[in-house]
Amino acid sequence: MSDFTDCTVGTELPPLELTFTRADLVRYAGASGDFNPIHWSDRAAAELGLDSVIAHGLLTMGRALRVVTDWVGDPARVRSYFVRFTKPVAVPDTDEGVVVRVTGTVTAVDDGVATVAIEAVCGETKVLGAAKAEVSVA
Amino acid sequence: MRISEAHVGRTYPPSEPYLVSREKIAEFAAAIGGDDAPYTGPDAVAPPTFAAVLAARAWQSMFADPELDVALHRTIHGDQRFTWMRPLRAGDEVVATLGIQSVRMRGRSAIIGVGVELAVDGEVVCTSTSTLFQTWPEEASA
Repeated sequence: MSDFTDCTVGTELPPLELTFTRADLVRYAGASGDFNPIHWSDRAAAELGLDSVIAHGLLTMGRALRVVTDWVGDPARVRSYFVRFTKPVAVPDTDEGVVVRVTGTVTAVDDGVATVAIEAVCGETKVLGAAKAEVSVA
Repeated sequence: MRISEAHVGRTYPPSEPYLVSREKIAEFAAAIGGDDAPYTGPDAVAPPTFAAVLAARAWQSMFADPELDVALHRTIHGDQRFTWMRPLRAGDEVVATLGIQSVRMRGRSAIIGVGVELAVDGEVVCTSTSTLFQTWPEEASA
């Protein structure tokens, strides 16, 4: 596979399969300080009309960016990152959890900076909208 | 009172400095998984979205503003943008400054654009821009 410095419009990044379990949500709650109970209590989630505990949007955002940082190796190359939180990721209380598939495609290369459009899909549902990162590839 | 278009441009005093530690970087990197090589050792940097932890802490100044009647438990995060000038590293003392960039009212709801600048030694190293949706219950009072 060619080096990321040779990327052009249309280059596809190696995809990721991310598994989310309740343990991952507890770990992120502790690491981030976001203890909103909709991320660990089915009762709290139900009170908001949710069928299940949902992942922190920022956890989905953070894990999805790995499609870019794994590709370039160095997270310091990331210049900007945008996501819209379109649909929550419902995380069942099972050992298997739920899988989010992440893909990235280069949509522009300008002055040594590549724009990568990122898609994150859970089942058939896009969980991030209009997600894109700018990353130095020079 | 409640937040309105009149609050656009409001800023808050800078936060107390947050000292980024190697241990916190490692803890956060483990929480988002994957290859942790860039996040350990003497040249470790923080994962890019670690900035979210500092930005969300800065939101507290807005939630604490009695004029706004904006609360975390009523907040839905609509979108998020980060722009980095350089990565955060262990030893950085980060000061966060929050400003209200936009407010659109729609009945009992508000769409609030919130900007947070993260600075180290007076130099902005990251900006965070968030769209937050706020909906008040009917007949709510502050």
